Amino acid sequence: MDNTTGFSVEPPEAADAPSSESRRGFLKFAALTGAVVSMTANRALADGDIAFHAQDLSDEQLVDLFRTILKIRWHERTQADEMLSNPDYRGYNHFYAGQEAVASGVCATLRNSGPFDQIDVVYSSHRPSGHAIAKGVDIPRMCAENDFRATGLNGGYAAEMHLSDPDVGFIGADGMIGPSMPIATGSAFAFRARGSDQVSVVFGGDGTYATPHFHSALNNAKILDLPFIYVLENNLYHQYAHYTYSSPHKDIASAAAAYGIPSRVVDGQDVIQVYNAAKEAVDRARSGGGPSFIEAKTYRYYNHWGAPGAKAGELGAFGYDPLAITSFRPDREVRAWMQRDPVDIARRTLIEWGALDAAGAEAVEADVKAEIAAAFAWAAEQPLCTPEDGLEHVFTQGTVPARQFG
Amino acid sequence: MTQKSWMYSVLEAVQWEMQNDPKMIWIFELTPPVASTPGRPVINLETEFGRKRVVNTGIDENWMASCCLGASLAGSPSATYIPYQGALMPFQVIQNVAGKLRHMTGGRASMPVTWIIEMTGQTPGFAGQHSCYEEDSYYAHIPGVRTVVPSTPFDAKGMMHASLRSPDPVVFLYPAGLRTLVEDVPDEPYEVSLEKAAVRMEGSDLTIVSSGAGMPEVVKAAETLRDEGMGVEVVDLRVLKEMDTDTLVNSVAKTKRLLTVDQSYFTLCPGAEVIARVATNVDGAKYKRVAFPDAPPPASPEMFLWMRPDADKIAGAARGLV
Ligand SMILES: Cc1ncc(C[n+]2csc(CCOP(=O)(O)OP(=O)(O)O)c2C)c(N)n1
Ligand SMILES: [Mg+2]
Repeated sequence: MDNTTGFSVEPPEAADAPSSESRRGFLKFAALTGAVVSMTANRALADGDIAFHAQDLSDEQLVDLFRTILKIRWHERTQADEMLSNPDYRGYNHFYAGQEAVASGVCATLRNSGPFDQIDVVYSSHRPSGHAIAKGVDIPRMCAENDFRATGLNGGYAAEMHLSDPDVGFIGADGMIGPSMPIATGSAFAFRARGSDQVSVVFGGDGTYATPHFHSALNNAKILDLPFIYVLENNLYHQYAHYTYSSPHKDIASAAAAYGIPSRVVDGQDVIQVYNAAKEAVDRARSGGGPSFIEAKTYRYYNHWGAPGAKAGELGAFGYDPLAITSFRPDREVRAWMQRDPVDIARRTLIEWGALDAAGAEAVEADVKAEIAAAFAWAAEQPLCTPEDGLEHVFTQGTVPARQFG
Repeated sequence: MTQKSWMYSVLEAVQWEMQNDPKMIWIFELTPPVASTPGRPVINLETEFGRKRVVNTGIDENWMASCCLGASLAGSPSATYIPYQGALMPFQVIQNVAGKLRHMTGGRASMPVTWIIEMTGQTPGFAGQHSCYEEDSYYAHIPGVRTVVPSTPFDAKGMMHASLRSPDPVVFLYPAGLRTLVEDVPDEPYEVSLEKAAVRMEGSDLTIVSSGAGMPEVVKAAETLRDEGMGVEVVDLRVLKEMDTDTLVNSVAKTKRLLTVDQSYFTLCPGAEVIARVATNVDGAKYKRVAFPDAPPPASPEMFLWMRPDADKIAGAARGLV
């Protein structure tokens, strides 16, 4: 189940490169015959075991995928720059940069708009900004929330680790490691009980493997055949510990397979591969086929939390090892992963497929940058919260008494 | 004597106990048992005692707490450091197993286990699920478990020695807001009682009772009030279970006015118990209770800072009482 290494077959390249459609046709053929396809050294590795669903995407949908990846990337970079260079900026983040293809590929297979009882739901973690953007959360309001503004997505009560927007099925971020997984199976249970074809997706890190919740969620999802998808983003570390400190499995997906759940390991840097695996899982869940597990091998470019080790205007964080911890990630590992950047991989794939040319890709990126800059600018203008409002929303109605004055 | 932080003091006690009892174990999750202070050697339990006795585990606080309980039942003194995000994950095993075991077994179970459980929630913007000051109320409710909350590095070290040597299970709350506090702490081992409150300031007009991370703001308020001419007596509970009723009653019998201060939610906060114990023993006293409202702490600094008890609010409540 380890599809992340050992690709060697070179595709027929160069002069007679097929047009966009036939290119995708070729890929589909290669996938069906089980051939392993590598189009350039560092990207787009089709998994011969998964049907090549991405070939059915229109050029417009492909560009949308790319746009989502860019939105996340520029959100992260812009916020990191704010944190590093604007002393008035108060927000923070657990940056998702490096992992963009996972959220983008998965959410592109979901129903993200429409009546609440028809859209798919996503549960996220302490690292939610990428998942939120991919699910379609309003970015300016998310930026305002992350900066504790009264007009933010959640009125300034939530901030980064607790973002929630049920309107787009983003049930929300959970700052805790573990609890969201069984809860997400509960949504799936409701979908099955009421005969809906909705699916429930949870994103969790490699750190979730060790929690009791991981095992409880998978066991119950399997036993009850729930429309539940566990997307495990294995970015190799939980805080400062390598995942091998807490999991005996090289591929955590093999633990899910032991629960009888169809499991995939995908290259989380390649949005096409993520999309293919997610589409398969969503199709299975919608048609009553039960749960799936996807392990995306990926990497985060920043440190666990905030922007230590990062420089304004530059991507990634280096040279930060606060506690001199033995299992901490080395800088050269960060640099090596940055060679397989999800933005570059997606861009090159789309250009090769003729969905976009280089100038078109640049234009999309310029657009996205402007959109994100405007979102941060709007957020910065938003009003701060009213202190007394802290006593609201404890229950549906009314306020609780102030107690801090005695 | 050396200037030491709360955590350095605690690890120094743990290190000494581990050196002197090769059976003892330590489990941690993401906070390496490493501390340093100028003029003293760096403490690193993992490198000193090796990964057989000191283990960095996965994110599973229930297992960490259970493992230590099991180790203690098998005769190994044990301790673990539960980060605040998982502060209540071990609740079931502490409440329904450890707390009942000695009594249920007719006194036969011995549990030299210490769960160091982080408490936080004083950082504006970082509230919500990353705030857990209310855990003092939950753990203090459990019979059979000693729940302590040292507020100074000196007490932390002495109470850690006492906890590790105690055959009773101990919930040892660590108010992370006190991380930067340093004071002179002896290098030698010593014990501080797991049963006694401490009078931090003496006065005859008003008693203020608080604990843990509430203490610095209480002391600040008390100093302001003293400068205004009020005789303030400040009591640091230190121990939530078994609560030191005598010290509380003696103080309020003298001052006839009691103000309790908690970072915990109002309902059933430690101050509620303090007032109940005093009121049933002292006639004619007046009472006030300052606590966090019964609402989850919101992220917005504007809302959060207004809701959090601080020196100004404490002093205001005190003036209203005297
Ligand atoms: C129950 C619980 N225990 C501990 C924590 C502290 N914590 C926050 S993030 C994190 C690491 C999570 O690692 P992983 O699941 O791999 O996600 P990543 O940070 O790599 O995205 C930990 C231990 C927590 N949030 N919840
Ligand atoms: Mg991780």
